[in-house]
Amino acid sequence: MRRYITRQLLQLVVVVFGISVLAFAILHVLGDPVLLLLPQNAGKEEFERYRHLLGLDRPLYVQYWKFVSRAVLGDFGKSWYADTPAFALVIERMPPTIYLTFAGLVVALLISLPLGILAALKRHSWLDTLCTAVAVAGQAAPLFWLGIMMIIVFSVRLRLLPASGYGTWQNFLMPAFCLGAALAPITMRLVRSGVIEVLNMEFIKTARAKGLAEPTVVIKHAFRNVCIPVVTVLGLQFGQLLGGAIITETVFAWPGVATLTVEAIRNQDFPVVQCAVILLALLIVAVNLVVDVIVGLIDPRIHAA
Amino acid sequence: MATTAPTKVELAGLGEARVEMPGGGQATLRRLLRLRWGLGAAGILLLIVAAAALAPWIAPHDPLAVNIRHRLAPPAWMDGGSAENVLGTDQVGRDLLSRMIYGGRVSLVAGVVAVLMSATIGVLLGLGAGYFSGRIDWTIMTLVNVMLTFPFVLLALAVIAVLGPSLVNMIIVLGVAGWPIYARTVRAETLAIREREFVLAGRALGMSHLRIVFRQIVPNLVSVIVVIATLQVAQVIVLESFLSFLGLGIQPPTPAWGNMLGEGRVYMLNSWWIATFPGLAIFLTTLVINLMGNALRDWLDPHLKL
Amino acid sequence: MARAATLASVLLLALALLTPADVLAQTKDDTLVYALQSDVQNWDPPNSVLRESIILGYNVFDHLAARDLKTGKVGPSLAVSWKNIDDTTWEVKLRKDVKFHDGTPFGAKDVKATFDRVLNPENKLTARGNHAKIKSIEVVDDLTARFKTDGPYPLFVERLTAQVMQSEKVIREKGHEWMQENPVGTGPYKLVKWSKKQEHLLVRNDDYWGPKPAFKYVRIRIIPEQATQIAELISGGVDIIKAVPPDQMDVINKSGLARTATSPILRTAFIQLDQAGRSGPNPFQDRRVRQAANLAVDVDSIIKHVLNGLGDRVATTVNPMAFGFDPGLKPYKQDIAQAKKLLAEAGFPNGLEVGFLRTQPTVEPGLIQTSDAIVADLAKAGIRTKARMVGEVGPFTNLVRDGKADPMFEWSWGYYSIFDTDAILFDVMTCNQPYSVYCNKVLDDMVIQGRSTLDPKRRTEIYAKAQKLIYDDAAYLFKWGLRGVWGISSRIDYEAPRDEVDRMWAVTPRKK
Repeated sequence: MRRYITRQLLQLVVVVFGISVLAFAILHVLGDPVLLLLPQNAGKEEFERYRHLLGLDRPLYVQYWKFVSRAVLGDFGKSWYADTPAFALVIERMPPTIYLTFAGLVVALLISLPLGILAALKRHSWLDTLCTAVAVAGQAAPLFWLGIMMIIVFSVRLRLLPASGYGTWQNFLMPAFCLGAALAPITMRLVRSGVIEVLNMEFIKTARAKGLAEPTVVIKHAFRNVCIPVVTVLGLQFGQLLGGAIITETVFAWPGVATLTVEAIRNQDFPVVQCAVILLALLIVAVNLVVDVIVGLIDPRIHAA
Repeated sequence: MATTAPTKVELAGLGEARVEMPGGGQATLRRLLRLRWGLGAAGILLLIVAAAALAPWIAPHDPLAVNIRHRLAPPAWMDGGSAENVLGTDQVGRDLLSRMIYGGRVSLVAGVVAVLMSATIGVLLGLGAGYFSGRIDWTIMTLVNVMLTFPFVLLALAVIAVLGPSLVNMIIVLGVAGWPIYARTVRAETLAIREREFVLAGRALGMSHLRIVFRQIVPNLVSVIVVIATLQVAQVIVLESFLSFLGLGIQPPTPAWGNMLGEGRVYMLNSWWIATFPGLAIFLTTLVINLMGNALRDWLDPHLKL
Repeated sequence: MARAATLASVLLLALALLTPADVLAQTKDDTLVYALQSDVQNWDPPNSVLRESIILGYNVFDHLAARDLKTGKVGPSLAVSWKNIDDTTWEVKLRKDVKFHDGTPFGAKDVKATFDRVLNPENKLTARGNHAKIKSIEVVDDLTARFKTDGPYPLFVERLTAQVMQSEKVIREKGHEWMQENPVGTGPYKLVKWSKKQEHLLVRNDDYWGPKPAFKYVRIRIIPEQATQIAELISGGVDIIKAVPPDQMDVINKSGLARTATSPILRTAFIQLDQAGRSGPNPFQDRRVRQAANLAVDVDSIIKHVLNGLGDRVATTVNPMAFGFDPGLKPYKQDIAQAKKLLAEAGFPNGLEVGFLRTQPTVEPGLIQTSDAIVADLAKAGIRTKARMVGEVGPFTNLVRDGKADPMFEWSWGYYSIFDTDAILFDVMTCNQPYSVYCNKVLDDMVIQGRSTLDPKRRTEIYAKAQKLIYDDAAYLFKWGLRGVWGISSRIDYEAPRDEVDRMWAVTPRKK
């Protein structure tokens, strides 16, 4: 177990390093902050002066080191527009994104677990076919389109739910459902194939042979073994989930990191973009780590090692 | 991917090496059924592609021609609609049908070019990682892990932020960001094929690495790559439309389904057609590509887990 | 299995902990919800050029003088009276027993501190241009202040409506940085909480010297998407929205939950053409190209078909409601052939391509659609635009201020709600002003002359000459005087304000 965690942590360090390089490369190498900061008719001299001022005339590795040593302390510079540290802006917007992501995850599980298990138990029945069809269609429906439709139906026509905003539980319903519905198809397919695989395993056949009731077999024996692939996949999907949250947030004017990032891009507010990208990536890494540990806990094979 | 096509013998050999799934007869029936679905989907897709390719000849109007005297005209079958603009006109009086046709062109081109880019990068890196293993493998797979950590959308947003929104930039972003899935799959397959007799034999005969990789391994990967690429095209189209919807992708007045949907959003409650048709187009295209991808998978390689 | 159960309960617990709680006990009945498309950059109105800042400022701060919307006249507010002692001296008597939100009494020292801060060029406050004619302020006694002006200053009283009164104690003790996020005013509402780019919560100032607002709380929500704003309004989530696209008015009026109101507003819309070359050398430095642009666009059709008539065609940037407007000047008429000819003469026989900086319609109804139509008309004459979109209005104005806009950019000017030609000419048409890309010494002289002349008739003549010059020189691409379009919930009574300042304290619940 310890070796397992050590290995995961080691990988984490490498991944975090990679993210920092990627973020640095995107914003420092591809883009030229000076061009964006100076008026378009600025002279060459002023241009050079600014480059020097920002340290852009120094070697890349020096710039990278400066960037990282500041970033570690949470210093990503000030937002070019809001006159506030970028870090503070992003951190303030983090909780809504995290809540939304978790709510979406819960919805996805609520949809996909029962349907996936049912589809697996009644393989090749009309229910199974229907689930597959819905899953294929669901994967094709653009998330933002679904969101707009939900606003029209539930807010404008039925006046049941708030069209946007944040703060009450009603605000959560549509975004969470929208996000969950996007993740549900793929999760359902995985649950289905996971359950089918487990049901074909020897010990289940034994349990059945012993004459245990079917629900007992499914819940007591199959469920735990299904959990492992599902949890692993959810960990992998977390990045996608967060990506989906970005889309959902913009549709429902959800005050999370994603809306902040999109605004910052539209305003070319690079410190904020950079900070948001890095913090989101770190969040994903952290979740993946947690998932790995959970898998380690529930998977007897790793536990034993 | 323009290498030699797989020979029948090799494909057959690939199939043999795998374990048969249980539930034989019924599964075959299902496969046939899905194939039919796939064929139907391919037919629709062909129509969409043809419309996009022939846009200048079949579009009834110039997609950029503004006519403010005739704005927000409803589709032909509604009250106030006319045959002149079958799907109606948008907020500045441009013909919606023409914009849909041209918009499809942009979406499909973006999707296909981006996928070709990411497939090329991904396959090459995957081959390198799988074939040479060791340090190269470690480096490439670390890179893959880093990339997979970044949500696709996030990466695309970050790059667009720097490069600025435009069609070319967006294709580059989508192309560069999409490769890890190919790399991971190709690596795993390469690892397996590398140890097979015909490869070992080739090596014993003193074939060069390049020859082994492109003559013996790649042909066996074609089906996997084609399946992933097909499914990825759908993903990329959705992502492209989302970026354009946000105003970070293809810039107006160039029509693209995504930016049409974005511009038409405010009209959802009265002139619903402006946003609805592009939305349907995205949905339909993604759906048929997914169906076709699934059918392709069943046909080429039923055991592929994607 | 037990472990799985533990796991599940841990997850549930985590979720429960993460659920946000509502802070204040507001009810729907005592809360008014107002939507803005774009947030302010600070809570320090003199340090902002945004309309949103002016609106928020009015609700939390007071001004020395205020406009009565019914009569259109400027009357007392924190000042109870004013008089001209001589041509260059004004004496202002202040209201008794007014307190700032922090409890300190308001007096002449606050007036002096406020203006001293604004006028100090080192502070670089946007409002300085508004008051540049004031030379010094003198405290006569607690409730009397005396202003010395640089020559005669006819706009003195009018301009008092555009300056919020801030506290001397706060300026001295807390300083500029603190003031950016912490407004201490004397106004009808106090700021409780500002979640940037999300929401402002205001609570009624129960010690207010004037009439008490009907609603105890005001929530100001930032909703960038117009589609979302409209959806919120007609589903009862928001009470007032503004800059509604004219072609969406029927959606609101048919909803049964809300209605629209329109009013001509003191705001002119135009497209600035970089005659001064602030963005670098560009074709618009040639007058013929600017004229061609004006001749290319069929503005009348755009007003009629895209805005459903909700716009008043103007010949220049001067608004029909402003003092000094010359109704005799006839606007440009579309003439593509002439436009092409002028372009060819200017050296562009095959037309030209030029950058166009655009933004979201925060104050201008139908901005996107009308600009699309303008772009199409320009292309007909050979002026092909390459659009750049900056979503938020704050960063957009910063680009303009810093000389980083494109040679063409969208602009509209609300005169700081001062009904006078000077309030636009000085700020957006004279040399070296932050938001002006036009520079012409002849016009500058006229503007100086106009703001230093007391006789109204003489001023009108000066401004008529100035407008002729602006028109002949095709300074900018002229559009129209705006009509504001508000969406208003049926549960409240509210009248569209023509000075574009939404006064939350004037909103009342509709009688059932």
